[in-house]
Amino acid sequence: MHEPTLDVSAIVPVGSRRDDVPTLLEEYAEGLRQAEISFEIIVVLDGPCGGLTAQLAPLAASNAWLRLIELSRDFGESAALTVGFGEARGRAILTLPAYYQVVPGELGKLIAAGQETDMAIAVRWPRAGSGLEGWRRNAFHGLLGFITGQRYRDLGCGVRLMKREVADEIPLYGERHRFYPTLARSRGFEVDEVEVRQSPNDDFRGRYRTREYLHRMLDILTLFFLVRFTKKPLRFFGTIGFVVGALGIVFLAILVMQRLFFDVGLADRPALLLSSLMIVLGVQMFALGLIGELVIFTHARELKEYVVRRVIGGEITIIEGAGAADETPEQPFPASR
Amino acid sequence: MSKNGSEAQPVDVSVVVPLYNEEESVQLLYERITEALTPMGRPYEILFVNDGSRDRTVEIAAGLASRDPHLKVIDFRGNYGQTPAMAAGIDHARGRFIVTMDGDLQNDPADIPVMVAELTGEYDMVVGWRKNRQDKLITRKVPSWIANRLIGKVTGVPIKDNGCSLKVYRASVIKKVPLYSEMHRFIPAMASIAGARVREVAVRHHARQFGQSKYGLSRVYKVLLDLLAIKMITGFAQRPLVWFGVLALPFMLLSVVFFVAAMLPLFATGDAFSLPLAGTAVLLAALVFFLLMGGALGELIYTMGDMDMSRYSGITAVTFTEHGADVTACPAGSSMRREH
Repeated sequence: MHEPTLDVSAIVPVGSRRDDVPTLLEEYAEGLRQAEISFEIIVVLDGPCGGLTAQLAPLAASNAWLRLIELSRDFGESAALTVGFGEARGRAILTLPAYYQVVPGELGKLIAAGQETDMAIAVRWPRAGSGLEGWRRNAFHGLLGFITGQRYRDLGCGVRLMKREVADEIPLYGERHRFYPTLARSRGFEVDEVEVRQSPNDDFRGRYRTREYLHRMLDILTLFFLVRFTKKPLRFFGTIGFVVGALGIVFLAILVMQRLFFDVGLADRPALLLSSLMIVLGVQMFALGLIGELVIFTHARELKEYVVRRVIGGEITIIEGAGAADETPEQPFPASR
Repeated sequence: MSKNGSEAQPVDVSVVVPLYNEEESVQLLYERITEALTPMGRPYEILFVNDGSRDRTVEIAAGLASRDPHLKVIDFRGNYGQTPAMAAGIDHARGRFIVTMDGDLQNDPADIPVMVAELTGEYDMVVGWRKNRQDKLITRKVPSWIANRLIGKVTGVPIKDNGCSLKVYRASVIKKVPLYSEMHRFIPAMASIAGARVREVAVRHHARQFGQSKYGLSRVYKVLLDLLAIKMITGFAQRPLVWFGVLALPFMLLSVVFFVAAMLPLFATGDAFSLPLAGTAVLLAALVFFLLMGGALGELIYTMGDMDMSRYSGITAVTFTEHGADVTACPAGSSMRREH
């Protein structure tokens, strides 16, 4: 990361879904100029984009506020954002989509809100689209809220302003960029939503297919695990394992009862297979949880579960080196290698 | 080694108190701790760890800290839980002895001097035991009694009261115990990896004065799962294959039993063998295989991780030299001499 010299670094990851990027960039720049801040826009092309690179290169050459980075192949949006974070010179980082989502003139609102909080995320409002889409969106966010305990209104919007620390602290990979606000809040950052007018060109029709739903569901499962159980895997796997295993045992007990008292032979009951399968599955889940605990324990040295905002007071005279715990150097755990 | 004694140590006792929404108690807590520590005549510090309180806790604490240099306030950015709060306090503590206690005034700071005095050459940690516990019988005391018996049995560190936060540690020991997730309940068990010697002392316990208790019955089940994890970690982290092997053994026996039961009719009566029985046998055999492979994976994880447990024993070891015994962590004069 560079020394911050600017107010805001805007990062635009360009993937397969994109509108007229050069025009959009001009509009974003205009929106940021209206907010009266110093800024830069970093465009990260996720894989060679041929014509687009040729279009943008002269633009980047003639405008100091625009920088262009082209990745050698398609790495995904999270990777593109991470590259952008690494290049950013702003005190705050703004992520912007390469397609129309919000009216660029409204970016000032987000920047004003960003002064007050760690992360300000845009909510497209009022929202275009049919009632069915609204219902679907509510269902998704409701489910997410139920699982993570955090309610958001528009996680699909890529317009987010965050302090540099947020980007420094929370690694992005895979599909995690979508749930960045959730991850940030679970790390103790303050996240606020800001209502921003939706761009009239925002067009997402035909993008939500069955496969997309399946991905979203898996995302929710991942998030559920990440937010709640990262440091206690046995609670997650153990619970599932216990439920499945207990069901299997009850089932098996019924079969054994029938064998003992009603003379229904065990040997010719396929139900025996099912019940033992459930017990086996339960034990396997438990074993996975234990392996998870082992992973956490062996890496406990690197786990620092808290972030200190500030330390107040405690200015007693301290002779450097003498105040630490005994003669042993101050290190959390014995070093191994 | 510790020839200089306590004069050269600017801080002797560090008191770590995690605070979460305790605006009513902060002032009183600070006064009580100061009252308890001042007569000891040892240099001390108090660390208040504000775990993302939503009330005025941090403002009040900061006000106190501006008047008293003994008090340090560590302000968290968010709410991370009790274990991280304790871990932060312990990381920042500079004392040779570290005291942890709850911020709700149910522990009495007046017990601290007695506990510190108990922490002599023989022991590495002194834990409080709330002899006359002032809590509801059914929802707090009964589950806690059962949990303590169970924890003692499973971890092999028989302590009457694991839930009491009032504990005193040697800094050299506690700073090296991995504290994560909700491990604060199991610090004695974790410290026992390093061979820490634990002493239990009866302490006073007061009924809650302000606010609501922040814990409920639902934690019982979580404690059970955590306990299982602790058992594995303290006992088998160095040899996961053994642990998984032990786990696999009963299933292996069952598998053999089912296999024999499936095959018997074939030889005895010449009937066709039973598919469900044979299937179950195969299934159980697969589980055994899975568990053994899991154990092998565990070995890999332990090897690649950076928690070398064999070094732990050195933390509490007593070194015998020609000048006599020297306990690495204890003040000069008290080493190995039994004072109690």
